Amino acid sequence: MGAVADTISSKRSSKITETRRQHHSGKKIIGFLRRRAYFPYVGPLSVWIILFVIAPLGIIIYYSFLRAGPSGNIIAVFTLENYRALFNPTVRVVFLRTFLLAFLTNLICLIVGYPIAYWIVMYGGRWKHRLVFLLIMPSWTCYLIRLYALKTLMGYSGLLNAVLLKLNLIQAPLQLLYTPGSILLGLVYAWLPFMVLPIYASLEGLDPLLLEASSDLGANSFERFFTVTLPLTKGSLFVGSLLVFIPSLGDWLAPLLLGGDKVLLAGSLVEHYFLKQGNIPVGSSLATFLTAVVLLALYVVIKFAGQDALERVL
Amino acid sequence: MKGRKVARSVLLGISVLSYIILWAPALVLILFSFSKNRFGIKWEGFTLEWYANLLSQPAAMDALKLSILVVAIAIVVSSLGGTLAAYGLYKYQFKGRGILRVVSLLPLVMPTVVTGAAMLVYFTQLIHLRLGIGSVIIAHITFTIPLSTFVVLGRMSRIDWSLEEASIDLGANKVTTFWKITFPLLLPSIFASGLLIFPWSFNDFITTYFVAGVGVTTLPIYIFSQVRHSTTPIVNTIGAIFIIIPLLGTLFTSFFRNRKSAQSRSGHD
Repeated sequence: MGAVADTISSKRSSKITETRRQHHSGKKIIGFLRRRAYFPYVGPLSVWIILFVIAPLGIIIYYSFLRAGPSGNIIAVFTLENYRALFNPTVRVVFLRTFLLAFLTNLICLIVGYPIAYWIVMYGGRWKHRLVFLLIMPSWTCYLIRLYALKTLMGYSGLLNAVLLKLNLIQAPLQLLYTPGSILLGLVYAWLPFMVLPIYASLEGLDPLLLEASSDLGANSFERFFTVTLPLTKGSLFVGSLLVFIPSLGDWLAPLLLGGDKVLLAGSLVEHYFLKQGNIPVGSSLATFLTAVVLLALYVVIKFAGQDALERVL
Repeated sequence: MKGRKVARSVLLGISVLSYIILWAPALVLILFSFSKNRFGIKWEGFTLEWYANLLSQPAAMDALKLSILVVAIAIVVSSLGGTLAAYGLYKYQFKGRGILRVVSLLPLVMPTVVTGAAMLVYFTQLIHLRLGIGSVIIAHITFTIPLSTFVVLGRMSRIDWSLEEASIDLGANKVTTFWKITFPLLLPSIFASGLLIFPWSFNDFITTYFVAGVGVTTLPIYIFSQVRHSTTPIVNTIGAIFIIIPLLGTLFTSFFRNRKSAQSRSGHD
């Protein structure tokens, strides 16, 4: 308002039109700012995401279409050559194995996880919270250490073999490690709790009156489970699957520790091309493909379970 | 009724077996951390030697210090940015809100090798940031800031926002209202997000491995360098500590929560 007052005193001649115009543009600015009042809040997050998520992702997508030079440099010539690596027999086998293992991990976690969640909700009683706590507790430890612990347990001279030998179930120690099966076990071991948690939450939120009503209407407990309980907790199965499927798909540590050099997964290839071989374009094409698959899975879940399904888990 | 009993024992069997599988490796690890065996894979009598040994390993201690530094910065920055963002997402409707929410999920759902590799390429090829503590901290904040945002956002719907209006109605200005009303209301959810961020950042290995460069060793990286070449008892001891400390921490907090809720319940009666 001080500026307005100044204008009035100094420029008497055109004062009315001038002040009006200033007043008007001031209002406009305030209105503009008011409409963008959200910006100071979401601004930092948005800037961070653009700088350190979108830009890096964009750059590897861009590089995946460029040619690799002989000394690990990148030549700015457009090519689809890097994506042909996906059809190279060894790479193809690794990707197919990765999808199969992630799928099996997910399936096993579903088949085992649902009964656990159901058992805790139905029979946990006052131990419910403690049981959930015991379930997620191990996964607060460093993933690396958990896999290492599993590895020592399953190793050639590990405890599992020792016990089996003592019980005379086997004659010589088994080679349990460095097989696709050991990776599968490692992945299930690592991600099972993340399947149980959303299912538990959704079973816990189920209205007991609905279950009562279905029993009153003559359903036995199996019918009740398949017609009422399971359909009502379907969304949590999608969320749990996402929490299990995605990390299994991109994992690199489980194949590294439990698969050795013998069983590679997609994550191992990405690491190999970026860090060991230094072939950024080919590594980028594999990483882009892997990300595309993950985003597709994410899309499917959001479509079936709703946008906030994932956020609710956190 | 008989079928029901069978179903119940099947459920019990699956659950007990799963709990055993989930806990066995950890318990064996803790057990062997006290074993005299030089490779940490057999029981050969009780010893505390490896724990004493750990304390005299400056490399392990330096790694621990670095890890704590990274976590501390990640928690402070992402709590600030995440809480602000959650407030904006909750209180305002704007263009791009839906997109922002989906895109912010990306760092949490993308394969960690891809995030790590993408950041490595971005830092080295494009913005020429020297790999080191700075790049590690940036990488950590990138996945902790969305974590914080969604945890706080998820809890905002449980907050009684009419208190904020009441404060304005009673003549407090916006700043006073924020510090006296909004901030204390948000504090428990900020705390909850911090609790989630801590293990996530502290345990992160893959992303850190990609962007750390040479010479920056957080605790998981140190463990990896130990695990990679041989089985050493030092990994058992660090692992045991990794398992025992969160256990004690959560027992501690749940004990206090129980006591608090018991108090409030008795106060209510």
